[in-house]
Amino acid sequence: MIEELKTKLSSLEENYTLKIQSAATLKDLQDLQVAALGRKGELTELLKSLKDLSLEDKKTFGPLSNTLKNKLTALFEEKQIALEAAAVNEELAKTNIDLTLPAYTFDKGRRHPLVIAQKRMVDILSKLGFIWAEGPLIEDEAHNFDALNIPKNHPARDVQDTFFVKNAVKTGFVLRTHTSGVQVRAMQKQKPPIRIIAPGRVFRSDSLDATHSPVFNQIEGLYVDKNVSLADLKRDLTVFMKGLFGNKAEVRFRPSFFPFTEPSVEVDVKCVFCEGKDPSCPVCKGTGWKEMLGAGVVHPNVLKNCGINPEEYSGYAFGMGVERLAMFSLNIKDIRTFYENDVRVLEQF
Amino acid sequence: MKILYSWLKDYLDISLSPAELEKHFTTLGMEVAQITKSGADFDGVFAARIEKIEQHPNADKLSLVTLKTAQGEQRVVCGAKNLVLGDKIALAKVGARLGSVVLKPAEIRGVVSEGMICSADELGLANTRQKGIMVLDKDIEIGAEIKTLYGKADVIFDLEITSNRPDLLSHKGVARELSILLNLPLKQQDYKPQKGNGQTLKINLPAGELGCPRYIGRTIKNVKNTASPKWMQERLLAMGANPKNALVDITNYVLYDIGHPLHAFDLNQLESGEINVRWAQDGESFLGLDGVERTLNTQNLVIADGKKPVALAGVLGGKADSIGDDTQNIFLEAAYFAPTAINKTAKQLGISTEASQRFERGADIEACDAAMDLATKLITEICGGEVSQTNDVYPVKYQPAAIVFEPEQINKILGIEIPKETLKEIFTKMSPSFAAESDKWAFTPPSYRRDITQRWDLAEEVIKFYGFDKLAQDNSGVSHASLYFGENPKNVDLGEIFANTLTSLGFLEAKNFDFVSLKDINALGFKLENTVEIKNPLAEGMEYMRPALLPSLLKNIEYNQHQSRHDLALFEYSKVFALQKGYPSEFFSLGGVICGKTPRSKFFMAEQKPVDFYFVKGIVENILAGYNIKLMPSVLAPVYMHPKICMDILLDGKAIGVLGKVHPLSAKLYGIKTDVYAFEFSTKNIEKYFDVQTFKKAKDISVYPSSTRDLSLVLDDSATFSQVEAAILEIGQGVKFALIDLYQGKNLPEGKKSITLRFEFSSNEKTLTDKEINLAIETILKTLTQKLNATLR
Repeated sequence: MIEELKTKLSSLEENYTLKIQSAATLKDLQDLQVAALGRKGELTELLKSLKDLSLEDKKTFGPLSNTLKNKLTALFEEKQIALEAAAVNEELAKTNIDLTLPAYTFDKGRRHPLVIAQKRMVDILSKLGFIWAEGPLIEDEAHNFDALNIPKNHPARDVQDTFFVKNAVKTGFVLRTHTSGVQVRAMQKQKPPIRIIAPGRVFRSDSLDATHSPVFNQIEGLYVDKNVSLADLKRDLTVFMKGLFGNKAEVRFRPSFFPFTEPSVEVDVKCVFCEGKDPSCPVCKGTGWKEMLGAGVVHPNVLKNCGINPEEYSGYAFGMGVERLAMFSLNIKDIRTFYENDVRVLEQF
Repeated sequence: MKILYSWLKDYLDISLSPAELEKHFTTLGMEVAQITKSGADFDGVFAARIEKIEQHPNADKLSLVTLKTAQGEQRVVCGAKNLVLGDKIALAKVGARLGSVVLKPAEIRGVVSEGMICSADELGLANTRQKGIMVLDKDIEIGAEIKTLYGKADVIFDLEITSNRPDLLSHKGVARELSILLNLPLKQQDYKPQKGNGQTLKINLPAGELGCPRYIGRTIKNVKNTASPKWMQERLLAMGANPKNALVDITNYVLYDIGHPLHAFDLNQLESGEINVRWAQDGESFLGLDGVERTLNTQNLVIADGKKPVALAGVLGGKADSIGDDTQNIFLEAAYFAPTAINKTAKQLGISTEASQRFERGADIEACDAAMDLATKLITEICGGEVSQTNDVYPVKYQPAAIVFEPEQINKILGIEIPKETLKEIFTKMSPSFAAESDKWAFTPPSYRRDITQRWDLAEEVIKFYGFDKLAQDNSGVSHASLYFGENPKNVDLGEIFANTLTSLGFLEAKNFDFVSLKDINALGFKLENTVEIKNPLAEGMEYMRPALLPSLLKNIEYNQHQSRHDLALFEYSKVFALQKGYPSEFFSLGGVICGKTPRSKFFMAEQKPVDFYFVKGIVENILAGYNIKLMPSVLAPVYMHPKICMDILLDGKAIGVLGKVHPLSAKLYGIKTDVYAFEFSTKNIEKYFDVQTFKKAKDISVYPSSTRDLSLVLDDSATFSQVEAAILEIGQGVKFALIDLYQGKNLPEGKKSITLRFEFSSNEKTLTDKEINLAIETILKTLTQKLNATLR
């Protein structure tokens, strides 16, 4: 009896293992599962006969049949997962879409190219320890000219160069021609050390053309302390230029003249386009150098005018045009582009 | 200032290439704007005539040209297209030198060419550039050497001289500067004083020190005013000055040579035998040699004879006494006029001449005699004549103050250790009177260097000659770590946050000029008396400082719509201006405009919503989230806004700006035909709430689940959402709810509308029970029923 049952068990195992393997659909598999493990399934029926066995035979046959039940259940689960996966994959395989159709476009807002250029310069200078300072755009002549050692008859004070306010209660209000007034205020207000930058708009009565604009932006810097020298200026501005153009950047200093600095210099950077190798380079016009900024040791008269003793303190100052640098680095050929606000340009940055 | 290489050689023994010289000029702070080659830099090129033109047997594009030369016929191969029988051309014979190239015999495609027909380019004659071969004047004789038609080969440097260095506005001055740098002696020219015989005019200087500190005059009689010699004409032409006659040319020549302006008068036209340097009388008139009659005032310095002004001192000569070809007797002036006097006259009368530019920047008072001597020498050599004694009126001799300093002070300014010996050497070369006694050094600037007054000026000279490249070659300077912590100005950081929000919402940043027109002011309804006006506007439409950003932004919309871009969202954060009690004031403003479709994501298959009022309202709420802001429907909208679609932006209950739809008529004023929505507000008062250094504090989030309940209500049409909002918030400030539907129309009684609100309930302490939530909903419903006559739908 027990041997007969054992034979039945093994043939059942063989039979269903094979059938489960070859089941093609979930339906087939379900039917098979009912046929084997359902209430009237073959294995269930077999187990029912357990009750007629002797206690000893029950001990032998019981675990054997349970093992088979677990095994078959596992096989059914495994097969079900496989068949389900196959069905999903078959469904996915039918998908037919053109992945190359245009995607969603996102209207990403952008900062103005001038702001981008200015931020870059300010970031570098901030790392060099300069602090952003501000002042009014409508200045008085005292801050814009007098304190800066600019003589009364200097051409910069002409109506050809400077915008004057017409309807204020008193004369002498001008649209600042540089941000130097900010430096003057800083020196009048605060004792050295002073290490500031003054970025912002300035105004000059220049007709608008490809390279001139009556409104433009400047960044000026000022450092006043004990023992500040021309060498410090050169060192700091060289680092600044390397910050802008990479550590390979070469910097050249040459003498110049400004009423508010002495010695005065102009600072050139080796043309980043042709590296000074192309005599027909449109950027440096074949000179190999591009003028970047004006600078110098603060003129003792300026320090005196601002209440700082030039025998005790010294300083350096520099100033540069943001537009010029932005044009150079962003490949913008016409300064008017900045103020046209053509969205086809603005979207590019 | 143009500088001729050949002229420099009068003063310096140099044989530098133009490129090397350019480097030296740059080192010395003279920017080289342009280098041009002039004259003929070739030999062995002669005039010939085209006798016959034949096709080259082996090349389609070449011709065989037979030429008539002084030596008979010659045949050359030529590729030019502008060959014309009978034309005279420039033939470079074999062995000719063109620049650095020597022409070798050539066989071109099997035919020997006995030379080359030259183009202007090949001859380096850039000024006579024409395409193809250069065609000569018909009158030139065959065999004439071409180089004789042009000046000698030369290089012209166009230097930019800074305004503090008038001493560099001459060949001598530039040579002097180079001589220090290159350590070469300056060759002195022969300016031997010319004694002369007999008296000249009496000279009076009533204008005094402020007008004319020195005046030298002399008469030269019986001169023959011919054409000036060729070498002088060539130099003047290269300088860009047209030769006129010997006397005029000589004064110009001296100017370019040693930098001192001179003036020559026709002696016969001067009345009553005296020269007065005086201030003009008010209303006195003067006819300049440019043919323009000018009315003078008491700030104008004039040279007058006994009766009338005969020249504007140092600026312009007079017509009546100008030198003509037939002038026989002259009075020659070499004077020093005070810079401010010349500056005023030149500026007031709008005249700028070679002379005025030098005098207003400062001429060399000690160079008057040299200029007089050189001019006298040249005049007598070229025009002959009898020279009088000079009359030199120089009441107070110029004595520049010595700068006393210690050598260490120079090094301290520069931040470098230059040896004392080197410093001494530089100073000695600059000023012969330099004295170095122990530690106190005394430098007396030469009379032509009035710009040097303090040791800082000397420091600049030193580093220029010593070399900027020697500066800061190591890192041994002062410490450059930050000296103290400084915050950005608040408006800067605040603006950054505004801009970041707006760009994340799809806005592009614009930057506009600060100038606007009367039309803009009127369009905004601003009062003119409160608007800053420019006295000297650059152009029409730029007369006022903008009191708001909106006009500029509307112009940006118009511009871009014109470029067929219709979905636009732009903002600007800039200053605006006003006149307050007569004083200019300025503050930052944030403005935005939007039109067309809403920005953000676009997909070709998805419908894009047009911008509406609620969009721009959402933008403003987003920017100003976190501030005590209230948006209130405007009782009286500004003229440029839609009267019904406009809200006031209130900060602490005070209006700081508006948002809404731009009035269609205002939009039309700017050429905009579509709907435009806009916002603009002053950010000044927001700054005080803004603190970049204070971090936001995180709030605990509830660990218990929240529940939502929707409530649909029927309300009177007249009830506004803000009334609903206020009523609910009165129950509890923490109630969280959102409007999810608004319905008006069918299935509702006349004069009613329905809204659906979604409430969210949560607690930090526990999960709320249904009972608790139902109670809350009941309370809300009861309140709304009482206050707004709401019923459950």
